[in-house]
Amino acid sequence: MRPALAISNYGLDYITSAGPVPVLRDISLEIAPGEVLGLVGESGSGKSSLAWALMRHLPANACEKGGSLALGDIDLQRLTAKQLTQVRGRRLGMVFQDPSTALNPTLTIGRQVTEALARHRGLRPREADALAIELLGHVELRNPAALMRRYPHEISGGEKQRVIIATAFGCKPEVILFDEPTTALDVITGARILDLFTRLRTETKVAALYISHDLAMMTRTADRVAVIKHGLVVEQAPASEIFRRPRQADTRALVAAVPRPERRLVHDRPEESVLLAANQIEVHYARRGLLRPAPPPATNAVDLTVRAGEILGLVGESGSGKSSIARALTGLARFSGDIAFAGRTLRSGDDMDRAYRRDVQIVFQHPDSSLNPRHRIGEILSRPLKLYGGNPVDVARLLEQVRLPASYASRWPHQLSGGEKQRVAIARAFAARPKLVICDEITAPLDVSVQAQIIELLLALRAETGAAYLFITHDLNLIRQIAHRIAVMRRGELVDCLPVEAFDADHVHPYTRELMAASPTPVG
Amino acid sequence: MSPVWLARRLLLMVYTVIIVCVLVFAITQALPADAAQTLLGENASPDALAAVRARLGLNDPVWLQFAHWASRAAVGNFGVSMRTGLPVAPEMLTALSRSLLLALCAIVVTLMVGVPLGIFAALRQGRLTDTVTSLVAYLGVSLPEFVTATVLTLVFSDRLPWLPATGYVSPLEDVAAAIGHLALPVLTVSVILVAHVMRMMRSETLDVLQSDYVRAARLKGLPERIVVVRHVVRNALLPVITIVALDVGYLLGGIIVIEEIFAIPGIGRALMIAITTRDLPSIQAGAMIMAVTYALTNTAADVVYALIDRRIRYD
Repeated sequence: MRPALAISNYGLDYITSAGPVPVLRDISLEIAPGEVLGLVGESGSGKSSLAWALMRHLPANACEKGGSLALGDIDLQRLTAKQLTQVRGRRLGMVFQDPSTALNPTLTIGRQVTEALARHRGLRPREADALAIELLGHVELRNPAALMRRYPHEISGGEKQRVIIATAFGCKPEVILFDEPTTALDVITGARILDLFTRLRTETKVAALYISHDLAMMTRTADRVAVIKHGLVVEQAPASEIFRRPRQADTRALVAAVPRPERRLVHDRPEESVLLAANQIEVHYARRGLLRPAPPPATNAVDLTVRAGEILGLVGESGSGKSSIARALTGLARFSGDIAFAGRTLRSGDDMDRAYRRDVQIVFQHPDSSLNPRHRIGEILSRPLKLYGGNPVDVARLLEQVRLPASYASRWPHQLSGGEKQRVAIARAFAARPKLVICDEITAPLDVSVQAQIIELLLALRAETGAAYLFITHDLNLIRQIAHRIAVMRRGELVDCLPVEAFDADHVHPYTRELMAASPTPVG
Repeated sequence: MSPVWLARRLLLMVYTVIIVCVLVFAITQALPADAAQTLLGENASPDALAAVRARLGLNDPVWLQFAHWASRAAVGNFGVSMRTGLPVAPEMLTALSRSLLLALCAIVVTLMVGVPLGIFAALRQGRLTDTVTSLVAYLGVSLPEFVTATVLTLVFSDRLPWLPATGYVSPLEDVAAAIGHLALPVLTVSVILVAHVMRMMRSETLDVLQSDYVRAARLKGLPERIVVVRHVVRNALLPVITIVALDVGYLLGGIIVIEEIFAIPGIGRALMIAITTRDLPSIQAGAMIMAVTYALTNTAADVVYALIDRRIRYD
């Protein structure tokens, strides 16, 4: 039988000022009708470029180096612009990574679904409307008729992704490309989208190329998995085997880096003494305006204690208020309630003097925006050293502490990789010799292997300095490897705060259980 | 767009007008002009001056004068001109209507030329046509009004006797003549504004073309023409609306040069005369009328913006 999608010996370069950079090399992949092929790789591995090549949406500096891309009997590389509009959507669909930006903010949901249906299925406006309502209902969206008249900003991220999926499936293509469709969503929403995908593929028998960096999730989603690294497919195997029997070293490294809750990385116990106790913290972002009332607080009277040397995990979906807590504890957001620290009680950011700020440091999610692009690494690190009475020559020691060469002091942030930048941000926090470091989703933008290295570094730094961590994350598997206790937040409330050993127990909050069920643990 | 938002926006406009009221009154108070002296001339006797001051309430405390003035202004009564002795409000409104007609025509022409030109340049980014369009637009915005006006008059009125060089005819009297008289001033103003609008439209279009939702629309299989018309233009227009509203302010205030060159008896000229003759009621009326027009235009722009982009709600 002819494969639904066949890529053979395909190569792709990007032409840059430094010459051609190979992105894909000698890629050969086949997807049978009805099959789901998972394509797993880290950022920069070329997996998204392959999707753009298939959709014929390559940047101007792309240069294809031979090979062929065939969708059934169509040679994709030979299509004219006009033929392309007959193939995109109709025969080759796509679901995008970030549903919040993939819908036009000024058009109604209905318009954006029907414009594709009308075009590809030759429907009249009224028929397209009826079909769109049916499709939206089929992807489990409530009240689809009303939804048709709403605008993208009026629905949630998960609902937007359902709209996009409904549109893609509604045109009945032979193959659909999924480009990390759950990455931008929180864990529970993502898990429901995956359930939807599984149901729809069984119903429609559509073939799919499912791109992701999440090997654990892929073992549950795909029939076969291909691992791509530096533009090369290093291994292809049935999904059930790739975890159990990775053949190549690259795959084994990828498998090893996947966080697994049963593999604990921290074995000590924290001290009994309480380092920081936050009582009844409510975070307020906006004051009452002249014409509008104050919005409700972002968190609802949260109590939290961190013991000396403890790793306290703080998990919850986006918008649950976990970052708001971090902002309150560092004085970046206004709050009511109080914080007991080192024998003192702080009631607002104004009470946080240099001694407190020195002891409580924060590392942010995106080093790109937390490191000043106009300062060299040396200057970035010497500022806190000067501020907190350290010696500026300690920059080299700090760099060494985060396993970076001392020569990096003269570099600019943009010359560093994402993982290296995050190391600099960590070094900046440790320059103050803090007692508590708040890590706000610091590994979220990183690949699993880089994430594993950063975690290893954090644990080493903790062993050296005895610092406690408040580790904010949405990755339950990761936090169960390192935390002593885990606090679970939902809609501004603290619903659970348990020792990690008690996490499997029956008496956890239903939401915590839901969060656990949604975290993809690898099969095999 | 919720009624609450609209009410709030209108309330904000009322605030603005009240603040402008206070400012206009304060500034005219601070002017080195004595109303009585202006009325009676240099050689008036002290007794006559005192009598006039008493009649005009100029001896009252400032706040009382303001209260009197504001309560009359609220119903459109700004008093009589010290120069002509006629009520100033109708006079100023007539002048404003001429300026508004000029501004409105200029904006329509500007949008009709500038928006398509901006889209066109963006779609051909980096090519010769883009460079040439941008260059010509730059030239238009860099030339002072009087140079553009002189050149246009020289060509279309002097060498080619097609259009009248100066003067104003109300469209209520003679439509054809009105258009003829408006053509050159409108063209002069448009040359400048087209550059604004075109450059804004071009950069916005380029931004929107890079957006994820435009990519999504293309990958849904929509032809480029529909992608541009349905998905790009609508979003790229939003900032242009703000620019146009600000340009109306420029047109009302800065149009004095144009009115002077083409001898159009508009609000700019009326205010100029009022200021040089220290005609306080006219200055106050003119300033208030311009401020209110400006506030109204910006409110209208916000409403249009909110109609196109439903994310704007502010509540």
